[in-house]
Amino acid sequence: MNLTLNINGTVHSVYCAEGDLLLDVLRRLGFTSVREGCGVGACGSCTVLVDGHSVSSCLTLASRCSGTEIRTSEGLGKDNPVVRAFVDEGALQCGYCIPGFVMMATELLSENPHPNEKEIADHLEGNICRCGTYREIVKAVLLASSSASN
Amino acid sequence: MSSEVFSLESQDGNAVGQSWKRTNSESKVMGTFRYTADLPVPKCLYLGVHRANQPHARIDGIETESAMAIPGVVKVITGADLYDALGENLFTGPAFSDQPPVAWQRVRYVGEPVAVVLAEDLATARAAADEIYVEYEFITPVLDVNAALEGTDYVHDELRPSAVFPDLRHLMGKRDTNVNYEYNLIRGDSETAHQEAPVTVSGEFWTPPTSHVAIENFSASAWVEENRLELVSTTQTPSYVRQAIATMLNLRLNQVRVRTLGLGGSFGSKMYDRLEPLVAAIAWTQKLPVRLELTREEAFVLTTRHGVAVSSRMSADANGNIVAATADVRYDTGAYADIGPRIAAKSGMVACGPYRIENAKIKSRCIYTNKPSAGPFRGFGVPQVTWSHESLVDDLARDLGEDPARFRRRNLLREGDVSPVGTVMHSADFIGCLDAVTEAIGWTDPLEKIEGSWKWGRGVAVGIKAVLTPTVSNAVLQLNQDASATLLISTVDMGQGSDTIMAQIVADVLFLGPDRVRVINPDTDVTPYDTITAGSRSTYHTGNAVKKAAETMRDRLIEIAAKQMGVSASDCKLAPGGVISSSSQRLISLEDLILSQFGAAGTTMTAEANFTTEWVPYDRTTGQSTKITEHWFAGAAAAELGVDTRTGRIRIRHLAVAGDVGRAINPALVNQQLLGGAIMGMGHALFDEIVFDQGQIVNGTLLDYQLPSIKDMPEKLTPIIVENPHRTGPFGAKGVGETGLIPIAPAIANAVRDAIGIRITTLPLTPEKVLSALANQGNK
Amino acid sequence: MNPRILRPESLADACALLSQDEDALVYGGGTALQILRKQGILSASSFVDISGIPGLNNLHHTGNELLVGPMVSIRRMETDPVVRESVPIASAAYAKVANPRVRNTATVGGNIAHGDYRLDPPVALLVLGATIKATSTAGTRAIPIDKFFIDFQLTALNRGEIVTSIEIPISNDVVASTFVKFSSLSANDWPSASAAAAIVARDGEAQILRLALGALAPTPVMTAVDITGMREAQATEAAVESAMLIMDPLPDVRGGVEYKRNLGRIAVENAVRNLWRDRQSV
Repeated sequence: MNLTLNINGTVHSVYCAEGDLLLDVLRRLGFTSVREGCGVGACGSCTVLVDGHSVSSCLTLASRCSGTEIRTSEGLGKDNPVVRAFVDEGALQCGYCIPGFVMMATELLSENPHPNEKEIADHLEGNICRCGTYREIVKAVLLASSSASN
Repeated sequence: MSSEVFSLESQDGNAVGQSWKRTNSESKVMGTFRYTADLPVPKCLYLGVHRANQPHARIDGIETESAMAIPGVVKVITGADLYDALGENLFTGPAFSDQPPVAWQRVRYVGEPVAVVLAEDLATARAAADEIYVEYEFITPVLDVNAALEGTDYVHDELRPSAVFPDLRHLMGKRDTNVNYEYNLIRGDSETAHQEAPVTVSGEFWTPPTSHVAIENFSASAWVEENRLELVSTTQTPSYVRQAIATMLNLRLNQVRVRTLGLGGSFGSKMYDRLEPLVAAIAWTQKLPVRLELTREEAFVLTTRHGVAVSSRMSADANGNIVAATADVRYDTGAYADIGPRIAAKSGMVACGPYRIENAKIKSRCIYTNKPSAGPFRGFGVPQVTWSHESLVDDLARDLGEDPARFRRRNLLREGDVSPVGTVMHSADFIGCLDAVTEAIGWTDPLEKIEGSWKWGRGVAVGIKAVLTPTVSNAVLQLNQDASATLLISTVDMGQGSDTIMAQIVADVLFLGPDRVRVINPDTDVTPYDTITAGSRSTYHTGNAVKKAAETMRDRLIEIAAKQMGVSASDCKLAPGGVISSSSQRLISLEDLILSQFGAAGTTMTAEANFTTEWVPYDRTTGQSTKITEHWFAGAAAAELGVDTRTGRIRIRHLAVAGDVGRAINPALVNQQLLGGAIMGMGHALFDEIVFDQGQIVNGTLLDYQLPSIKDMPEKLTPIIVENPHRTGPFGAKGVGETGLIPIAPAIANAVRDAIGIRITTLPLTPEKVLSALANQGNK
Repeated sequence: MNPRILRPESLADACALLSQDEDALVYGGGTALQILRKQGILSASSFVDISGIPGLNNLHHTGNELLVGPMVSIRRMETDPVVRESVPIASAAYAKVANPRVRNTATVGGNIAHGDYRLDPPVALLVLGATIKATSTAGTRAIPIDKFFIDFQLTALNRGEIVTSIEIPISNDVVASTFVKFSSLSANDWPSASAAAAIVARDGEAQILRLALGALAPTPVMTAVDITGMREAQATEAAVESAMLIMDPLPDVRGGVEYKRNLGRIAVENAVRNLWRDRQSV
């Protein structure tokens, strides 16, 4: 089937099978920030925002997303306050899971611009950083929260 | 002798010791950074693997017709097909040539590849793999490491040591055993010393197998280009893989090219023979481009951490000196030895801990069972023996009525001491680490030990590990005419930050700023040999090679500048901005210097260096060696935690971890390694565990397998860098990749013992285990 | 092979599709179905995607009931102020499902139809006495929640039926309510024990403690205890006694039977403690 997807503000026309998952379609289109870590929605490495809401793209039918606005971390740009905060706090090690955290943080800050540490943990609990960068990630979300309001 | 004159550490370019931002931070955060699976490769056929559902069985027949009938399926390959083409070369492995990439005649663990589908796309390949039917003839499996020692069922008919390690050669052809390696350490007379000692403690310790779960999964592509094999793979050992594949396919080394990009974590999983023999064997024998990507469920059966049983004893005299230690260590290595025999030797040998012990006896065995093959895992088998010795030392101190930290302090090895393995200690400040972590958590501050159903306690543990020795590292440094540099090494940056710190080393020697040194990803056609990126060895070994190459470059720049300025080389030195002549105070920029030397823009200068370490092989009877290792890692951890006596749940209020890193090239990255290791270790302590039922993993998905999330973090985490410069480390530096993990589980268990008065000897410390221990205590 | 995806645009069409093919499954948020499909556990010929049917994601407060469409997301149940105010324990239980991403995608209808014994929302719905409406070509029927969970992974839904709404009574008689959840391994793991409880006033003075347990038997289970005139300690004892009778935990990697029974007991004790605290503050 032919599918029209709005990804990071650009419309992409793709041919895919009806059961294709959003993860696979995004990767075929070259959005390498979207990664399969577990395939069952438990690690968060394939997180994207669909109409502003975080989803595990490994569990999401691509066909469901036509007519929505899909955002991946590539689309945030390097001057985005969340991206800047993760870079400035050194909130990464291998970096593989980080775009997923960035998207979860983006959703959180859009709903709750000034989260405390518990609210940050509540929102990011379904993302696994196997390198164990959680301390810096919390700092980065706090920094993004304060820099966005300045 | 210009190098002697100018090898001044005072010529500090000020990059070393700085917390430079991690290389590629921005692209990694944005997600545009390319990992290995993102590297463009030719259009490949996808592989789907049919895996054994039996732990031990003879293969009587493989029915592939239904799979072949599926549109898009090109071929199905079995172990027999590969054996016909490659013969005995099919069997590979770093210590024993015992593992076929696809089972041949016999399967030895649930999940072993039995047949491989080649198909046009991944979904078809996987679906077709499910349509393969295998007829098995049951063989009694060996499912338990202790049963493997006592029974008469054997995983392998005979041992097949590889050619890599000469000291394993005597094991060739040995039959009727599941023990593929046994290491013995004997020092003094431990039996008599135990008997004469007033205080002895003992225990049966168990650490379960665990999974690495690097979030980037395994993938590999292979194809034939002219008469060469090209391989792109998630590996932290590209140089090893090139050799292994060349041997398997009987190719020259320059006929095999192995590439890897940065890895999304590894923790020891992406080492030695993983997917590479399989894709290489199929690509080469079928002359087809193929690609294999594992699912997470498949990754669980690819490699695990060793489950380890330790029976151990430790004795002290009335003055509180440890006088004897004994340990019987059994590494459950699963169906294939992998690097298990080396783990059994090099990690078993520290089973008595970093203590002054005159009478020690260790037997450490690597044992086959019918389970997925266990391999290296951050710590290389050491955390499992640390679990034993740090529990025992704690018990010993408590039995003597002494503070466990003070007891350790008296007995810990110091600079210049001879360790139980016979090697003199240097640059391993256990006491500094111990003091740092106990101070951090307020060890001597008053503690409210009971609050409602909660009981609180504190615990501490230390850890020792030897760096892999002997090994080889090489570096090739290219200085470009515009004073930028390109560094060619085969070290793999998998999150530890090697690209950043190697750049810092070059920048420091050559006075280059951040972003001026580019580190080339491993490509065996281009980057020189490096033993492995593992065992916390890169900072020291590759770092030394890189530093030597940079110093060679510096000396040549000075020589050239001296000629150009008409002064002697001893009059010149490299400084920020270029080479300066002391007498004339004239400065030539590197750009001008190289431009005039070659008369062209864009030219390059190349320097290379090798750094090789040596050891004295241990005595086969006593395990003693005057130089067992190039250096030691020293670390410590302390925890303050509460145990909810109603639910059994453990809550860590403060976890402090310290490592002696010689010198921190990049303190921020060192702290992240310490904390990352500590968090992984905390998972191992509390819940991280592969559970088997009849050889089958029952929790092999991330829905069931437990990893620490942000909500499992201790309320407070404190990393502490201890610096005792190593005399031959680059700028005094050593590695830190494993140090933070090693002492964590016993530190937590010792705190639990402090809180509730119970010694738990099997990991993980699940609430159920804690509760049942409390119930047993109540019944006594 | 992969199921076909069918996209009806009306409820009638969806029912018709399901009646024509007994191996078709209703596709709501799809989180559980995708996992089961990948694990090879599911053998569905087609997924009937009901996201295109108008009206199924409505959330409606009638005054004495909250009518929840099957395609309302779990996360909306967690965050919507109407849900939070009218049925706080339902909101609290939905807030504990998996993680925010799954909650954004998974739906109320899919969650209940999944029928997993460990899920958080059913225990709250049991305590609140919700009704499940199920529609097929044969019409619509109402299934009281306490008749909905039949056995391990088995619900009262027939082949061909679609959950079309969940009706949650909003009662002024609920004096206090609470939801308690324990995992045994990592913090974000599946629960090993959960309890929802409410004190419901009846006929003036009488008070009933309604108590439902999750992850402690092959299905979510429920009991009720008359606690009229009881003090906290008596009520706790009565609640625990009643709860122990309905517990029948399944041993797994998260713990054995005894451990889970103990955790269940603590969940009940904590729930009653919470109820008493809330009741005092009313």
